Amino acid sequence: MIEAVGLGKTYEVPVREPGVWGSLRGLVHRRTLEVHAVQAVDLRVHPGERVGFLGPNGAGKTTTLKMLAGLLVPSRGSARVLGRVPSAREPELLRRITLVMGQKQQLRWDLPPTETFLLNQALYDIPRSVYVHTLGRLVDLLELEPLLQRPVRNLSLGERMKCELAAALLHRPDVLFLDEPTIGLDVRMQVVVRRFIEAWNRETGATVLLTSHYMADIEALCDRIIIIDGGVVVWDGPRADLVRRVAPGRQIRVQTAEAVDLAALARAGGFEGADGAYTRTVRPEDLPAALAQALAALPVVDLSVQETPLEDVLRVLFAREGGPA
Amino acid sequence: MSAAGRAARAMPGLLRVGFAEVATYRAEMVIWFLTSTMPLVMLLVWDRVAEGGPVSGQDQASLARYFTTTLVVRQLTGAWVVWELNAQIRTGRLSAGLLRPVHPLAAMAAEHLAALPMRVVVLGPMVGLIGLWRPDALGLPEPAMLALLLPSLALAWMLHFVVQAAVGCLAFFHEQSLGVWSIVGSLYVVCAGYMFPLSVLPADLAAALRVGPLFSMLGVPVELAAGQLRGGAALGAVALQAAWVGLAALGLAVVWRAGVRRYEAFGA
Repeated sequence: MIEAVGLGKTYEVPVREPGVWGSLRGLVHRRTLEVHAVQAVDLRVHPGERVGFLGPNGAGKTTTLKMLAGLLVPSRGSARVLGRVPSAREPELLRRITLVMGQKQQLRWDLPPTETFLLNQALYDIPRSVYVHTLGRLVDLLELEPLLQRPVRNLSLGERMKCELAAALLHRPDVLFLDEPTIGLDVRMQVVVRRFIEAWNRETGATVLLTSHYMADIEALCDRIIIIDGGVVVWDGPRADLVRRVAPGRQIRVQTAEAVDLAALARAGGFEGADGAYTRTVRPEDLPAALAQALAALPVVDLSVQETPLEDVLRVLFAREGGPA
Repeated sequence: MSAAGRAARAMPGLLRVGFAEVATYRAEMVIWFLTSTMPLVMLLVWDRVAEGGPVSGQDQASLARYFTTTLVVRQLTGAWVVWELNAQIRTGRLSAGLLRPVHPLAAMAAEHLAALPMRVVVLGPMVGLIGLWRPDALGLPEPAMLALLLPSLALAWMLHFVVQAAVGCLAFFHEQSLGVWSIVGSLYVVCAGYMFPLSVLPADLAAALRVGPLFSMLGVPVELAAGQLRGGAALGAVALQAAWVGLAALGLAVVWRAGVRRYEAFGA
């Protein structure tokens, strides 16, 4: 379905020294710098999967997605999507994939979204009955009805994002490359978009490769995670395995009736925090004893236990040199 | 289905949205139109020059007809794809077009064609006013030449569009594609018959310019419509236009292919 072997991209970036002298030098001697945005990515995503594609800023996530969608020609390695080479941008492939980039729009700015939808109907040669049915479904799922006749420029960021998604999915693609689809959206709109992606995947069986800096997106949508760092894949596997492997502890959170002193926190086993909110991370096998110790030493009014949040897992992961073994 | 077939199937939809956009940007359209009214100024200047007698064989009436025709042809064969491509490449907006199954240049061509009705609407009253002032400025060529006029106009537009697109593609490689176009644009003003009929130039120079691509972009349909190009010469000129379109299309294909390989989807 989606396959990359040693996929890499190197950009040649012009370097210009500052100041007048730098400008004059640039006239006669154009210097360039090679930037290895993606070193060598190997991945394979199966039909119908929802995969989170994560990494710190500059890791090469977006560049990889652009290569897989056929926007960028790889400098090395190979990619195949639905059995075709993306950089050839064959219409047969373009009809079956989509790339949504957060806040980058295909919508016509001064026209209502409906015009872009009709344009895409023409460009993708979508039969009228399919168009009407798919648009109806998208309008329902994304609550688009009140937005359809308003010029795009008059829509909020979240409303535009919903329309972008609709425009990108009208041709019912089999593969969705979603690059930060919830970036800049408020919490409610993030939830709407998340639920929509899940529902769409369930209804159509589309494969989803998703990047996001919001771990809530990944936790809600993706059971499998691929992590890229320094242009190479450093983790590929189930989300739960990643959490267990990188940060296997359980986090105990307690709320106390009043602030407690350091001695009490030490007696409780070494909690950290302030102003009545404290946390401690322990190994799963030590959990019962640690809970008993906390309840005995602290005036607890509320208590919860959870796996280490994905965000913390990634923080630990990216802080390690070279990522997980 | 071939690329041309796909573009043809999508064309009604592209034209519909293109027309909706033109209607939205009608004020900009009128302003754009007004920036291309140099032939009107030239009409007044040359009318004055020819007061004392014909200039290079052209009297006031034929000069009036020439520049009125130039105004019309310039509007019907105009293109702005160089600016559009330059902006789309540099900002990464081209990405949306590259991800669709119809070639982005076909979509841009449709936007140009969709603007034609609006241009005709603006052009009509202006030509009417010129006709009131100088009725001999209006006229049609003999029927045979009239039949050649339509393909000649289409070829002139295609050549203009393709050359602009090729120059616009330079933005894949360099920041100065618009600078290159301003050079081409300056040559167009002088060599295409835009500011003056080539007949006022020395015969050898005029003959050389007549076989160049800039004259094919404007001068051929202008002279056909103004009744100054006839018979075999007219046929030859239209054939030359077709040859230039083919050559320019070849150049565009090469620079597009190389450019897309370098495309970095900046900002997208």
